[in-house]
Amino acid sequence: MAGSNKPFGAYLREKRLAKGYSLRRFAELLGVSPTYLSHVEQGKVDSPLTAKLAHRAAELLGESPDELVSMAGRVPEDLPKIIQSQPGAIPGLLRATKGLTPEQIGKLMDRAKRMQDEGDAP
Amino acid sequence: MTWRSTINEVPFIPESRIEKDADALIGEYALRPNTSIGPPVPVDELLEVQLELQCEIADLRAEFECDDVLGMIWFNSKLVKIDRSLDPHERPHLLGRFRFTLAHEVGHWRLHRQYYREDPSQARLFDGKGRPAFVCRSSEKPPVEWQADTFASYLLMPAKMMIAAWDKWKGNRDPVILQTLPSAAPVAGRDMDDVRLERFCKPLAEQFEVSSEAMRIRLEKLGFLLREAPNTLF
Repeated sequence: MAGSNKPFGAYLREKRLAKGYSLRRFAELLGVSPTYLSHVEQGKVDSPLTAKLAHRAAELLGESPDELVSMAGRVPEDLPKIIQSQPGAIPGLLRATKGLTPEQIGKLMDRAKRMQDEGDAP
Repeated sequence: MTWRSTINEVPFIPESRIEKDADALIGEYALRPNTSIGPPVPVDELLEVQLELQCEIADLRAEFECDDVLGMIWFNSKLVKIDRSLDPHERPHLLGRFRFTLAHEVGHWRLHRQYYREDPSQARLFDGKGRPAFVCRSSEKPPVEWQADTFASYLLMPAKMMIAAWDKWKGNRDPVILQTLPSAAPVAGRDMDDVRLERFCKPLAEQFEVSSEAMRIRLEKLGFLLREAPNTLF
């Protein structure tokens, strides 16, 4: 999904149909009205889906929740808390990753994971 | 503003052909892996997944300045739009009408698209989609709309499925006669006999997710509902 140039709504519809969900069935599973979902798919709403709904949609579609939430113009729900837990460090860390390639960010993530596994994390 | 079908010359299509085509569509969908077919017949999936028609819900009444439009279909862009007044999430009692409208548009797609020729002068209307091939209204029923309604009835209530459901419900195939049913309270603007029959139909209508009116019409056509006791010589 990364790098999809499609608008969020069109992308959501494509993935929904690939899974064999009708508009009404998918709306039911998300707990929204078919009219609202249809408007989201047509790009006729200012804010496509809440982070929670985009996360749920990603789970139903077998997509990456972080990426779908971002495509919806939202921030994954757990991020604000993580940022606020270390306000002096995390924003700086995020800024430091600006301009890095996905591969470079992947290496950083692997390193962080190793540090957590080795018990270096606080 | 009056919107009508852009197709006027569709030939007479025998009901037997319409029924056969509706049954064939269900049969095609049933071939998909891990698929079991209703009741209710999965008309939403037939339209979007099987036929790959795009489904949108929109405020057609405001958009097209037409106060009784239910659905529209564009053949070239494979697009169906349903008026939001039928949204069953907002109006659960209209689920049957929502599904019937979808089935009706499927009927246009299956029966009428071969007769459609786009008028080049109108191709750029409506965001470049051109003029809709059919604008389906509750107040207008030219022959093509009757054909699409007939298709919808056969699609949502196929004979085989109806007979099996009736057998299970009643335990026999004896017709039910109007006079044997309890009387119903009058409903403004409705025929009393229709209301009485439709109240009887309600459990089956709920099972098939159609309106009681659509179910009453189908059961009468199948001969399971009679308005008068049949005349028998012996």
